[in-house]
Amino acid sequence: MSDHAALGVFLILTLVFPVAAMAAAWLFRVKSAPTREKLLPYECGVDPKGSGWMRFRVNYFLYALVFLVFDIETIFLYPWAVKFQSLGLFAFVEMIVFIAILALGLWYAWKEGALQWY
Amino acid sequence: MMYYQLLGPEITVAVLGLLVLAGSLLLPSHGKNALGYLTTIGLAAVLLAVILNFSREAIFFAGVYQIDMYANFFRLLFLSAALLIMLMSSRYTGLFGERKSEWFSFMLFATLGMMIMVAAGDLIMVYVGLELMTISFYILTAYLLNDRWSAEAGLKYLLIGAMSSAVLLFGMSLIYACSGSTVFTEIYQALLAGSERPALLAGIVMMMAGLGFKISVVPFHMWTPDIYQGAPTPVTAYLAVASKAAGFAVLVRILLIAFPPTSLDWKLILAVLAALTIIIGNLTALPQTNVKRMLAYSSIAQAGYILVGLVAANTYGLKGVLFYAMTYVFANVAAFAVTAVVEVAEGNAELESFNGLGRRAPMPAAVMTICLLSLAGIPPMAGFAGKLYLFSGAIQGGYLWLAFIGLLMSMISVYYYLHVAKAMYIGISSREDRVLLPVPVRIALWICLLGTILMGVYPGPLSELTELAVQLFSAV
Amino acid sequence: MLIQDVMTFSWLIPVLPFLAFALIGLFLHRWPKWSAACSIAAIGVSFFLSVLIAVEIFGGDPGRAFEMSVRWLEMPGLKVDMGILIDPLTAVMLLVVTTVALLVQIYSLGYMEGDPGRASYFAYQSIFAGSMLGLVMASNFGQIFVFWELVGMCSYLLIGFWFGRPSARDAAIKAFVTNRIGDFGFLLGILFLIIVFGTLNFGELAALIPDYHNLAVLLPIAVLLFFGPVGKSAQFPLHVWLPDAMEGPTPVSALIHAATMVAAGVYLIARAFFIFSQVPQAMLLIALVGGFTALLAATIALVQNDIKRILAYSTLSQLGYMVMAMGVGAMTAGMFHLRTHAFFKGLLFLAAGSVIHALHGEQDIWKMGGLAKKMPITTWTFVIGALALAGIPPLAGFWSKDEILLGAFAGGYTGLYLLGSLVAFMTAFYMFRLIFIAFFGVSKGAEQAHESPPVMTGPLVILAALSIGAGFVGSPWMGNVFGLYISTPGAVHHPVNPTIMAVSSLLALAGIGLAWLIYQKQAVSAEKLRQRWPALYHVFLNKYYVDEFYAWLGKVFVDAGARVLEWVDLKIINGAVNGLAYLTGSSGRTLRYAVNGQVQSYAIWVMVGLVLLLATVLKTVFTVLV
Repeated sequence: MSDHAALGVFLILTLVFPVAAMAAAWLFRVKSAPTREKLLPYECGVDPKGSGWMRFRVNYFLYALVFLVFDIETIFLYPWAVKFQSLGLFAFVEMIVFIAILALGLWYAWKEGALQWY
Repeated sequence: MMYYQLLGPEITVAVLGLLVLAGSLLLPSHGKNALGYLTTIGLAAVLLAVILNFSREAIFFAGVYQIDMYANFFRLLFLSAALLIMLMSSRYTGLFGERKSEWFSFMLFATLGMMIMVAAGDLIMVYVGLELMTISFYILTAYLLNDRWSAEAGLKYLLIGAMSSAVLLFGMSLIYACSGSTVFTEIYQALLAGSERPALLAGIVMMMAGLGFKISVVPFHMWTPDIYQGAPTPVTAYLAVASKAAGFAVLVRILLIAFPPTSLDWKLILAVLAALTIIIGNLTALPQTNVKRMLAYSSIAQAGYILVGLVAANTYGLKGVLFYAMTYVFANVAAFAVTAVVEVAEGNAELESFNGLGRRAPMPAAVMTICLLSLAGIPPMAGFAGKLYLFSGAIQGGYLWLAFIGLLMSMISVYYYLHVAKAMYIGISSREDRVLLPVPVRIALWICLLGTILMGVYPGPLSELTELAVQLFSAV
Repeated sequence: MLIQDVMTFSWLIPVLPFLAFALIGLFLHRWPKWSAACSIAAIGVSFFLSVLIAVEIFGGDPGRAFEMSVRWLEMPGLKVDMGILIDPLTAVMLLVVTTVALLVQIYSLGYMEGDPGRASYFAYQSIFAGSMLGLVMASNFGQIFVFWELVGMCSYLLIGFWFGRPSARDAAIKAFVTNRIGDFGFLLGILFLIIVFGTLNFGELAALIPDYHNLAVLLPIAVLLFFGPVGKSAQFPLHVWLPDAMEGPTPVSALIHAATMVAAGVYLIARAFFIFSQVPQAMLLIALVGGFTALLAATIALVQNDIKRILAYSTLSQLGYMVMAMGVGAMTAGMFHLRTHAFFKGLLFLAAGSVIHALHGEQDIWKMGGLAKKMPITTWTFVIGALALAGIPPLAGFWSKDEILLGAFAGGYTGLYLLGSLVAFMTAFYMFRLIFIAFFGVSKGAEQAHESPPVMTGPLVILAALSIGAGFVGSPWMGNVFGLYISTPGAVHHPVNPTIMAVSSLLALAGIGLAWLIYQKQAVSAEKLRQRWPALYHVFLNKYYVDEFYAWLGKVFVDAGARVLEWVDLKIINGAVNGLAYLTGSSGRTLRYAVNGQVQSYAIWVMVGLVLLLATVLKTVFTVLV
C-alpha cells in the first residue's frame, strides 16, 4: 500500500514540476509584445542562419556520442567511489577494465577523426 | 564455487574483439589481413574449448547467467557459423576496402551478444546480449559504404529494430511488474502463486513479438527481404543463421522455463503464427528473381518450420528445433557463400547471374544444389532429418494440421530452390571463363557440404547432442 | 585379445573400399595408376581383415556370432540401427567376396590396360566391393536393402561401362528395370516385417518368428521377400537381364554377374532362412523356381555360340541349383555351392576374358579354336574350372553339387533330384562343347593369339587352385567342417550316399564324353541333330522367346495402360496441377506487393499484427469490458 502511495507522490510531482516551471517563467518574465527577435529559435545566443530544416554535420552526433559515453561513465563512477572501501580490490580491477574499454573506444574515435572539426 | 573458466569463451571473444579493434589502429593497412587470421584462429580456439567443456554446467549470479548444455549447443552453433562466415567472406571483404578490420571486430561482438543471449537466465541479460548483437548487425548491414542499398538496409534495420526493442522492453517491463523478478526461474515461481492476469499475458505476447522480429515470424517479417538483400552477403548469411538461431534459443528458454505451457497456453498462438509464416514465406519466395531475396523469404519459411518444433514443445519437437537450426547453418551458409562468389564475379545476385555456373564453377554449383535441396528437405540431406524430427514432434503433440501444412509447403519450396539449380545447369551464360574460388571459400564449402550430407546420412551423433541439450526442459 | 580387436575393427572391411571410391572420385581420377593402386590396396586390407575374422570364427565354437550396432535414426514408432553381424555365414561370404574381388581387380590391371575410363572403372569396383561387403555384414533388413540397392546401382554402372555402345546402354537399363521389379516386392516384404514385428534386426526376428504361427501373414511376407532373390539372383521369370549383362567388361561379369552380386539373393535366403523355413509353401515355391531356372538355363546354354553367354546361362543354371537347394531345405549345401561356384565360375569368366583379350574382343566360339597351344595357362585353368563346374571328383564343384543332390533326394524331392541330375549332365556337355570347339579343334582366324600377361594369368592360377581345393572343407574326408558352422537349428545332415556320388559323376563323364564324340571326334554330326529337332533347337536358341514375350506384354499392357494414364495425366492431373501452380504463383505475386520497401508501412503492419495478437489473447478482458 505504501508502495502505491510513493508511486502516487512521484506521479503528482512529475505533473506539478513542469507546470510550476512554466508558471514561474510566466510570472517573472518581462511582459511586452513579441518581436521578431524574440520569436527566433534559441541557438546559444548566436543569430540563427538559414532554415531550421538544414542538414547537420555528422560531427555533432559523434561529439554527442563520445560525450554521452563519458557522461555515463561518470555516473557509474560515483557510487563506486562512494563504496570504494568496502568493495575492495576486485571492484577496482573491474573498474579499471571498464575504463580501459572506454579509453580504447576514445582512442579509436580520436584516431578515426571523430574529434576533428571539418 | 563458480567456475569462472566456463565464462572463458565469452571473455575470450570480447578480448579478441577489442584486440582486433586496437590492431586496426596500430597496423598499417596492408597488414590488416593478419587480423582476419587472428579472428579466425581465435574463433576456432574458442570453438574447441566449448566442445571440450560441452557437458560442464554452472549457474552464475543466482540464475542470471547459466552455462548449460543447451547454451553450449548454441554457442557451438554460433561459433561454427561465425567461423564459416569468416572463411567464406575472405574474398568478399575486398569490397570493404580500408574498413576490413572493424568488420572482424563487429563479427566478434555480434557473436558475443548471441553467446550472452543463449546463456542468459534473466530478462535484462537477454536484453543486453540482444542489443549487443543487434547494434553490431546495424553497422554490419550498412557496411558497403558506397552501396546505396546497403545504407538503406542499415537504416531500415535500425528503425525497425529500435521499434522491436521497444516492444520487447515493454513486454519485459510488464512481466516484471506482474512477477516482481527478471530471473526466469523466479518468474515461474511467482506465477505459480498468482492467477492469470491480462497485463502478464500482454507482456508475454509483446515479448514474443519482440523476439518474433529477430526470427522474422509473420507479421513481424517485413524487414527481412529488404535487409537481407541490401546487406553484404556474409552479413546476410550470419543474420539468417545465427541471429535467427539466437532468437529461437532465447524464445524457447523463456517460454519453457518462465512460462511453461502448463501454466499458460501460448501454443495455439504460436501454431497459427508458424502456419502463417510457413505459408507466406514460401509463397512469396516463388516469384523472386534475386537469389538473395529468395533466400530471405526462404529463411522466413524455415523459421516457420523451426517454430513448429517449439509449438510441439515435446522432446522430439525441441530436438528438432536444435537439430534443424544446426543443419540450417551449414546449408544456408553454403548457399550464401556461393551467392557471394557469384556476386563478386558478376556484381549482383540476380538469378540470371547464376546462369551457366554449373560449367563455370562446378564445385560451388554442386554444393549449392545439394544445400538447397537440404533446405527443401529432400533425403538424404540433413534438412530431411531435421524436418522429420520437427514434424513428427508436431504430430506427436497433436498438431497434425500444422505438420501437414509444413509438408505441403516444403513441396512447393522445391520449386523455387530448383529454379536456382535450373539456372546453374541449364541456363546459358555469355561467359564461359572459370569463376575464381579462393581456398578459404573452398574450405567453407567443403565443410558445409560434408556437414549437410553427414548429418543427413548419419543423424545419430547430432541427435544425441540435441537430446543432451534439451534435457533441461524434460520436466516440462 | 588381438582377435577381439579385429572384431571391433571389422566395420573397416566395407568402409575401406568406400573410402577408396571417395578418394578416387575426388582426387585420384586423373591418375589411373594411382586409382587402381588405391582400389586394390583397400580391397587387399579388407581381404586381410576378412582372413583374420575367418580365423577367429572358424577357430571357435560353431554358434559364435559378433554383433555391434549404432542407433542411426530414432523417431516416434521407428528405430533404425546400423549394425554389423558377423557369424560363420558372414565370415564365409566375406572371404569369398574379398578373395574374388581382390583377384578380379588385379586381373583388371591387365584387362583394362589402356582403357580411357580406367579410373572410374576402379572407382566403381571399389564402391561395388564396399556395398557387397556391407550387404553381407548387415545386421538388419533395412541396412541390407540399402546395400542391396547400392550393388544394383554398381551393376548398372558397370554393365553400361562402355556406354558408347547402344547394346551396353540397353543392357544396363534392362538389368536395372528388371531388378526394380524384384526389389519392389522385397521392399514390400520388409515393410510388412516392420509392421508385423516392429523390428528388422535378424537376431530379434529369429527369436520372434518361431512363435508366430499365422501363416496367412507369414506366407505373403516370405513370398514378397523371395522377390528380392528372384530379381538379384536372376531366377525365372526375372532371369532375362543376366545374359544381357555380359555387355560389361569381362572382369565385371566374373565378379558381379557370376561370383558375388548375383549370389546375394541366395545369401539373403540363407540369412532369412528362419523365415522361409517356417512356411512350407514358400519353400516349395523356392525349390520349384530354382529347379525350373536350372533346367531352363541349361537347355539354352546347350546351343549358344557366344563364350560369355554360355557362361552366363551356366551361371543362371547354377544359381537355380543353389535356390533349389535352399528350397529343399539344404541351406548348408546351397551356401557351400555358392562358395565353390564363386571360385570356379569367377575362374571361367576370367579365363574367357583372357581369351577375349587375346582375340581383341572376339566372343564367338566358332571363330576361335586351337587356343590350347597358344594360351596354355588360360586353357588348362579353364579346363580345371569346367571340370569343377561339371562336378568331376575330387574338384570343388563335385562336393557341393553332390550335397545339393543328396539334399533333394534325402528330402524326398525325387523329381527335383532327377532334374538336378539331368542338369548336371547337360552342364558337363555344354561346357565341354565350348572347350572342344574353342580351345582344341582347328584354329580359325586365331593365329595371332598369345598368352596373357602374368598379372592376368596369376589370378587364374590362384582361382584354379581354389577350384580344386575349396570343396574339401565340405567333404566327408574333412568331417564336413563347413556344415558344422553353416547350418540351421535342427538341420539333419544326411549321411553320404555313394550311389548318388557315383551316378552324378558318371552323368558328368557321360556329358563330357558326348561332347567329345560330337565336337572333337565328330562321330555324330551336330548339324544332323539340329535338323532332326529344329523346333527344339530354335526354342533353345531364342531363349524360349521370353524376351519376345515380355516385349509383347509391354506392348499390349504397358502401352495401352500408358495411353489411358497419359489421358488422365494430361486432362485431369495436369489441369489440377497447373491450376494449383497458377493459384500458388499468383498468390505469391500478390503477397509480394505487401512488402513495398516503405519502412513506415512495415511498422504499421507490425503494429496491426501486435494489436491483433493482443486482442486475441486478451479477448476475455475485452468481453468483460464491453
